Amino acid sequence: MTMKKRTFMAATAATLASLSSPLLAQAQKKAAAKGAPAEDIVFGASMPMTGVFAFAGIAIDAGIKDYLSILNESGGVEGRKVKYVPEDTAYKVDQSMAAFKKITSQNKVNLYYADSTGFCKAVNPELERHGGILMTGASFAKEISNAQKYPHQFMVGPDYSEMVAILLQYIAKTKPGAKVALVYSDTEFGRDPVEAFRADTQKLGLKIATEIVTPPGSVDVSAEVIKLRRADPDYAIFHGYISAPIPEFINQARGVGMKTQFMGTFWTMDNSTVMRMGPNADGFMGVMPYRYYYDTEGKSPMLEKIRKMRPEYQATGYMQGFLAAMLLTEAARRTLAAGNELNGKNMKIALSSIRNFDTGGIIGVPLSIKGNSIPIGRVYKADFKQQKMVPASDWINLTQ
Amino acid sequence: MRIGSAKQSYAADAALFDSRTQWAWVGVLVASLLAFPFVANEYWLYLACLVAINIASTTGLNLLTGYTGLVSLGQSAFMGLGAYTVAILQIRYGTPMLLNLLAGGVVAMLAGVVVGVPSLRVKGLYLAIATIAAGVIAHFVFSHFADLTGGSAGLSVPPAQVLGVVLDSSFKLYWVIVPITVLLLIGAANLFRTRIGRAFIAIRDRDISAEVLGIPLLRYKLLSFAISSFYAGVAGGLFAYFFRAITPESFPLIMSIFFLAAVIVGGMGTMLGSVLGAVFMTLVPEVLKLIVGWLPLGESAMLVLSPVRTIVFGLMIVLFLIFEPHGLAEVWRRIRRLFHLWPFRT
Repeated sequence: MTMKKRTFMAATAATLASLSSPLLAQAQKKAAAKGAPAEDIVFGASMPMTGVFAFAGIAIDAGIKDYLSILNESGGVEGRKVKYVPEDTAYKVDQSMAAFKKITSQNKVNLYYADSTGFCKAVNPELERHGGILMTGASFAKEISNAQKYPHQFMVGPDYSEMVAILLQYIAKTKPGAKVALVYSDTEFGRDPVEAFRADTQKLGLKIATEIVTPPGSVDVSAEVIKLRRADPDYAIFHGYISAPIPEFINQARGVGMKTQFMGTFWTMDNSTVMRMGPNADGFMGVMPYRYYYDTEGKSPMLEKIRKMRPEYQATGYMQGFLAAMLLTEAARRTLAAGNELNGKNMKIALSSIRNFDTGGIIGVPLSIKGNSIPIGRVYKADFKQQKMVPASDWINLTQ
Repeated sequence: MRIGSAKQSYAADAALFDSRTQWAWVGVLVASLLAFPFVANEYWLYLACLVAINIASTTGLNLLTGYTGLVSLGQSAFMGLGAYTVAILQIRYGTPMLLNLLAGGVVAMLAGVVVGVPSLRVKGLYLAIATIAAGVIAHFVFSHFADLTGGSAGLSVPPAQVLGVVLDSSFKLYWVIVPITVLLLIGAANLFRTRIGRAFIAIRDRDISAEVLGIPLLRYKLLSFAISSFYAGVAGGLFAYFFRAITPESFPLIMSIFFLAAVIVGGMGTMLGSVLGAVFMTLVPEVLKLIVGWLPLGESAMLVLSPVRTIVFGLMIVLFLIFEPHGLAEVWRRIRRLFHLWPFRT
């Protein structure tokens, strides 16, 4: 029997089409079985290694890797090694979801790092359905701190409202009755702490000088600076930005002789970000949930280890990733030590049992976890002479 | 070599598939689509659903941009309107999924008609800029009408139910998303066998001549915007059911650019182009990731190769535009022609 070329090609293509998917799935299962033995704890991550958030993603990834390497070298979690499986997401929710599906379909994932608020929200029903994963991530959105709504997630630090509350507590203590302005971007990120800012200023006896909202990605802020000048606040808190337009704001404000103390929240507060703002930003303050790479005060064995492993400066994102890995694996350790099954619910209970936990100096005070956030932070101030962020307050714990 | 595909009637000439071979391939495709959920894992099912949603939206934009010649950068806004409509109806009234999707399409369609009005006076880049306004206004509405839209926190959408089945996984959603996309594709393909579709093409080729030929530009340009936005609205609704969380930032301007790129890369003014463009734009980044994953480069591969992967993806788009400006659909046609004429050369 002879077969024409076209018929043969058609038959081959049809056979390949029908066979490729199961083969692919089987190959992936085999790869999973080969790469992750059953006794390994799998730590997945939707990590933004490219895109607008890559600066943080690369640092967070390094922090997670370093902590897991320290942990695995010292015997892992109750004798089980932790396998890290990251996937680049370009900081896009659909790609983060694809990464999650890919990692969870190829591995029996127990712990997960999420790259954005959008992804934390989108993956939440999937996490509940899956049931086996405890997740944290780069989001500090207030909504995620709702433990009822997000039972298998938590954040490694205070949420954005709590960050602003820490700054306001500092202001209320330093200058009672001060006039405070909030400058925020017209984004989900920027608007997050607005309501809490209004409530907390009133509670602490502070005055709201003005609230200024800037369009996303705005560069020219002349009109906003005029508005700020009219309000003449003692303090102005920026939120919803990484850097721009903060330097422009500060330069223009100093140019017209304003004496306002400018402040920022976590994602603005990396040493290199602040130092790049220019000399007018000398004295810029902000809230930081972790200690900086170069902090030497007190006992900090983990920071010393980090400095030994990486002699060059590590960004604050690194500390966030390092602590995220520490807390996720600690939750897994407590769950296993109690003889419980390693699932999202048990690990969350174990996480919530953490009291006076020593982070080895990553946070300057022992931490206790209640709920989805860790409302502890410290106010730091930019010292351009030293090219460093130096402590301006003691650690502020909002639960006390 | 294929011979003897002579057309003996106008109906045969206008048929979507004109040979037994084509029908056989359609059969293979349908069988593959039916078999796929049973053999693919969760990751591939997720990608299949995402590709299907993107095909629906790209098809809508291709109707407007590829067939009617009206450039729009408002596609994400129309998707957003569809998504929010579906979410609100699902959360507040628990109305059936198909009804919600239809409502999402209709709301987007009405908005599309309004946004399309400037198309009567401006064309090309000017129209593209005018349609960006749709995105800005939609973002404002989504962010500030908090009682309805949940404000900046957005809305969490409960899973849809069809015939008592809760659609809470990619496997279950596949059986709704893919058929709807196929229906939308068939609808769009059939549109160009009617007077309406041919009027769109006439407007694209030369709008003044089209008007001289008796095609009312006002009606047909707005109709094109309406149909295109309806597709975007339905795609947005599917997006809401698929991701189950929508915020004002779920539908940025870059999303509109993504769909425009899909139309251009796939091939403007061809149905196949919509499919190939959406598949290319959605899957190539994932395929590149798989390739990088297979390379024996150790743990630091992701760190080193992630930016390279992005550059390769960008380069592929640029090279396609340079070497095949008619898009992937033309590449497909050339391959088909090669087989049709084999053993002769084209």
